[in-house]
Amino acid sequence: MAALSSQFADLVEIKKQLTVIIALCRERGLMHSVKWASELAFALDPLPMNELPPPPPFTEEDAQDLDAYSLAKSFFDLKEYDRAAYFLRGCRSQKAYFLYMYSRYLSGEKKKDDETVDSLGPLEKGQVKNESLRELRVELSKKHKARELDGFGLYLYGVVLRKLDLLKEAIDVFVEATHCLPLHWGAWLELCNLVENKEMLKSMSFPDTWMKDFFLAHIYTEMQMIEEALQKYQSLINVGFSKSTYIISQIAVAYHNIRDIDKALSMFNELREQDPYRIENMDTFSNLLYVRTMKPELSYLAHNLCDIDKYRVETCCVIGNYYSLRSQHEKAALYFQRALKLNPRCLGAWTLMGHEYMEMKNTSAAIQAYRHAIEVNKRDYRAWYGLGQTYEILKMPFYCLYYYRRAHQLRPNDSRMLVALGECYEKLNQLVEATKCYWRAYSVGDVERMALVKLAKLHEQLNESDQAAQCYVIYIKEIFECGELMEQVELSTAFRYLGQYYFKNKQYDDASICAQRCCNYNDAREEGKSLLRQISQVRGQGETSSSDLSLPFIFGPLSAKNTPVRRMSPLNLSSVTP
Amino acid sequence: MASVHESLYFNPMMTNGVVHANVFGVKDWVTPYKITVLMLLDEMTISTSITLLDRRRLNKLILPLLQSPDMTLSQLIKTVEDSCPQLAYTVHLRLQLMADGELKDMEHFFDMLPSPFNETESEAHKTSVVGLFMRHMVLAYNKLSFSQVYKLYTALQQYYQSYERKDSPAAEPAEDTDMELTNTEELGGKMEKEELDLEPSDDEVSTRGPLSQKQAEYFLAQQAYLLKNDENKALDPAALQKELNNMLKFNPDFAEAHYLSYLNSMRVQDIFNSTDSLLHYFDRLILPGGDSKSNGDEGCGRSLRYAALNLAALHCRFGHYQQAELALQEAIRIAQESNDHVCLQHCLSWLYLLEQMKGSDSTLTEHAVKMAVHFCLPYLASLGIQSLVQQGAVGGKTANKLMDALKDTDLLHWKHSLSELIDISIAQKTAIWRMYGKSTMALQQAQVLLSMNSLEPVNLGVQQNNSEAFAVALCHLSELHAEQGLFAAASEILKHLRERFPPHSQHAKLWMLCDQKIQFDRAMNDGKYHMADSLVVGIAALSKTEGLYRKALVLKAQNQTTEAYKVLQRLLLYCEKIKGTEMTIRVMLSLAELHWSSSCHAVALPLLLRSLAVSREYHLQYLASECILHLAFSQLMLGIPEQALNILHMAIEPILAHGALLDKGRAMLLVAKCQIVTASSEPSKQQKTQALEVAVQNLEEAGTYFTKVDCKERVRDIYYLQARLYHSLGKTAERNKCAMLFRQHNQELPSQGVPLITRL
Repeated sequence: MAALSSQFADLVEIKKQLTVIIALCRERGLMHSVKWASELAFALDPLPMNELPPPPPFTEEDAQDLDAYSLAKSFFDLKEYDRAAYFLRGCRSQKAYFLYMYSRYLSGEKKKDDETVDSLGPLEKGQVKNESLRELRVELSKKHKARELDGFGLYLYGVVLRKLDLLKEAIDVFVEATHCLPLHWGAWLELCNLVENKEMLKSMSFPDTWMKDFFLAHIYTEMQMIEEALQKYQSLINVGFSKSTYIISQIAVAYHNIRDIDKALSMFNELREQDPYRIENMDTFSNLLYVRTMKPELSYLAHNLCDIDKYRVETCCVIGNYYSLRSQHEKAALYFQRALKLNPRCLGAWTLMGHEYMEMKNTSAAIQAYRHAIEVNKRDYRAWYGLGQTYEILKMPFYCLYYYRRAHQLRPNDSRMLVALGECYEKLNQLVEATKCYWRAYSVGDVERMALVKLAKLHEQLNESDQAAQCYVIYIKEIFECGELMEQVELSTAFRYLGQYYFKNKQYDDASICAQRCCNYNDAREEGKSLLRQISQVRGQGETSSSDLSLPFIFGPLSAKNTPVRRMSPLNLSSVTP
Repeated sequence: MASVHESLYFNPMMTNGVVHANVFGVKDWVTPYKITVLMLLDEMTISTSITLLDRRRLNKLILPLLQSPDMTLSQLIKTVEDSCPQLAYTVHLRLQLMADGELKDMEHFFDMLPSPFNETESEAHKTSVVGLFMRHMVLAYNKLSFSQVYKLYTALQQYYQSYERKDSPAAEPAEDTDMELTNTEELGGKMEKEELDLEPSDDEVSTRGPLSQKQAEYFLAQQAYLLKNDENKALDPAALQKELNNMLKFNPDFAEAHYLSYLNSMRVQDIFNSTDSLLHYFDRLILPGGDSKSNGDEGCGRSLRYAALNLAALHCRFGHYQQAELALQEAIRIAQESNDHVCLQHCLSWLYLLEQMKGSDSTLTEHAVKMAVHFCLPYLASLGIQSLVQQGAVGGKTANKLMDALKDTDLLHWKHSLSELIDISIAQKTAIWRMYGKSTMALQQAQVLLSMNSLEPVNLGVQQNNSEAFAVALCHLSELHAEQGLFAAASEILKHLRERFPPHSQHAKLWMLCDQKIQFDRAMNDGKYHMADSLVVGIAALSKTEGLYRKALVLKAQNQTTEAYKVLQRLLLYCEKIKGTEMTIRVMLSLAELHWSSSCHAVALPLLLRSLAVSREYHLQYLASECILHLAFSQLMLGIPEQALNILHMAIEPILAHGALLDKGRAMLLVAKCQIVTASSEPSKQQKTQALEVAVQNLEEAGTYFTKVDCKERVRDIYYLQARLYHSLGKTAERNKCAMLFRQHNQELPSQGVPLITRL
């Protein structure tokens, strides 16, 4: 699974390639790719002077276009795209041609955004288009047919196609671009956004380079295939990228996605040590801090980020989280709104704002916020879950079923949705459905450890005492295995029920053990004692059994000694009963 | 890279976390189309040369022009030309001047526009539709920023130029060659093609143009109206959905569009999309609740209740009764908590409907109706009365009470002009008359419904509603025609039904069942049992009891007595359980016929008497006569023809008046048979001859009835009887003729069925 490309053996070569691509991308104004590549290059050991790769070959055409290119590049860097394009129009070299097309594209995009603000009415808003896209497409596809496009040109062609919603063609072109110029991270990243599922990924052929491993790891994270992603990243670290902040942040995000909070926190802390002025991904970090209610750390993070740049979406989200943790929900909502003003397509902020409104009991605003989140991304399970919760609070258990179901569809293995579903079914008195949900929640690994107790109680209600007992046994076992003794109330009910159950089934030994355990808890002590009395009474009537009662029971006999037989009994019984 | 520009995005104007759909505070804005309309209006006020007739036509044109989505200039000019060519030309000229001129021409136009504010003598009063439109436009124009004005002007130029280009086709080839010249590479041609491929989709968008909020609302209202009243005239589901998606893409907050999308998905029975749209709609709808702080929780809670109620309705439509019940319970609970009696009444009606659909017998109490009246819900009240009437009819209440109640509801309907309920009421009357066996009355009521003009304003070319009531009435009509042997007319009606209620629509099942029943009856009459058998499956799919019954009929006709008996017994039990009186009687009659075929006429008698009693109890006159017919036949077979003739007199009159042709024929045949038998016991020869001659006449009549409904077997048997009678009367010529006819028929038909003598 995690077998990496053999090219990783030669890190020096990789470093050289990175150095080259950084220069190439910089010349073409692809700053995000430059950033990514530089980050990686920084993680590797510096090259000695004589090992430095030679600058890219300088052709006759390049020389001719040099002046126009330099002028245009300066305009480009100053965001004067039309001006840049004007001075580049006659250039013949690949580099200048790319910059020419790219500035035209960016100019169109910029105008589109400006136009959106200035459009005539709300319904016209969506009609604003990047006017230059079609021209660009025609020109680029002509070049593409004539095979005159280099890797960067293909990338731009793909971007244009994607913007025109020609996704199939776009994917093909991006794949071609990766074959042509595997080192350009931008093309890979675009593919990450376009590939929808595993099957699609399998059906595509990629160049066999070390970049592919980065791509796969990234896309696994996107597709929530966290195990595979983590393996990939781990092996990348082992190969020698241990200092890469990119990899560390990705791992942290991956841990966050599977709710492994401790590991994610430690990764983020490491990340902040290495890159203290980093703002990217810090909203995820703040989510983790929020979940752990680590107030001082969150406060420190918020102030720190605010010092670095307060007009960033991430900063606003962090501050929002901070206020939320301090229960100042109005202020929190304000900051999430600010984040959305900075970028309305920021998914997390919509959802978080929904949560804030929920806290403020402003259900209608919460519903609106969640709906917006869903509009931005239909696959946002948190928003669906939030909608479900909202309606649950409004006491509409049937109505919220639909939302929970949607959330469950998106995260089939998340026990929280299943437990929520089960609770709704329970409220609707659909007990059989509810048992199914709880059982499934337990099977996929229950986070809150409540599913089993609920399941047991349901079985109690349904008069299926065997199944109920079985559930309690498993529950007790699990609790003791993990060594947490917090949910005492539920434990005592479990023991109480089991005691009665064994007593009824005339398994007096087991019953007395349970009764004794009951006595450890305040609320069940009386019952435990009375049960013990009853047992001894019954035993007194029958033949006196061995001195079972006097056997010392230390903590954990249930999980250790001769329990397997005992634990099997309800299991066996349940298989017999219809 | 992709994220670089996202920060430049449009600022959503938010208050309280809610993005407002209407950012600019105006519902309308200026488009080139609207400028042209403004010009048209201006011209109309200025020019004096328009004739009165033209002016009237133009006036009628104005409202659709203001409401409809933006048209292209050629469409617009064509529409105006139809009313007044001269005006169209002036408008064209003015637009040309403006488009070919400068920006200041447009500015000047808006400056010069007669303002309805200051001119009291102006034709357009400031609160009239036109006045409002003009004010809207001036306001919207004045609000435009510098760049927006320029954009509007370029849009206007494009608008005009696209018309010019279309208008002068000569210009186009020239342009093409121009393109060719620039594309020196040989790939050029291919590119062009691709470009052209792109063109139409682009064109479509630009011609339809973005809808303003008003236009969008109008579009939605229009489509919703059409969906309700004449589905075939509405856009087809795919096109409508595309339009809606388009609308929602540009303005996701436009909640009503979600609701229409829900209705549209219902049309194609798409549960996923319809649920999604419905919930989305209500999620959006909650917005006003949060908005109006004065109402506080009330507004929000209200939409919640109705959301749950609508969800129940949705599940009900899809036949998920358990889900529907859960949703309904929820709606009821929330409504109770907030003391919303109106909502509770709605819930109650649904609850009743749901129980009915699930097949359990629940009774809507009169109390509920009274409550509905109390809360001023005439719709619910009369719907309740109608349900009560239906219950009463099935439960054997007397006709005068039912009709009285219906009359009362009719009063209510006309008072509140609830045209939909009037339709239902008439359809119900049709059904009740039909159930009683008064086909003439049923026919009349059905005709009344069909020839009645709808109360709702006739617009959009919708003449009639496509409500369930119409479907029911039409089905009855076709069945009634088929009964009278007018199969061509019946199939004509069915064809109409098929057009009006296409197979995927909600009420299509009604005519499907009706169609199959008619076909089945014809096949049975014709003796084509295998064909009838193949139809049974289709009928059973639409109605379980009907299917079982027909299955038994086929089995009986094929002499598979044991199987038929089993099926009938099962059906009888089932019908008694669900209290399907009509079907119970029919089943009992069929059982009696089965007894006959095993010559147990005496056994059949108690069954027949019981069915007679039941049908009299429920006032099912027609079925009662049928029972009498059966009784008489049993008596005939038991050898008491005088008695049979006696009771036949009771039945023959209603049957001849209201009955189906087949039944008429059967009745006459039975009379003739009784007469023949009694004739043999007549003392004098002359009397005997007389009696036989009467019998021959009756046979003749029965024969004509049977021929009309294509009952070949029965016709053949009649010829046989006639031949025998003529023989005994000594009329050789007639005898020979009948004998020949009999032989002809006999050769055509396989003689496998039960001989006519031993069946009714």
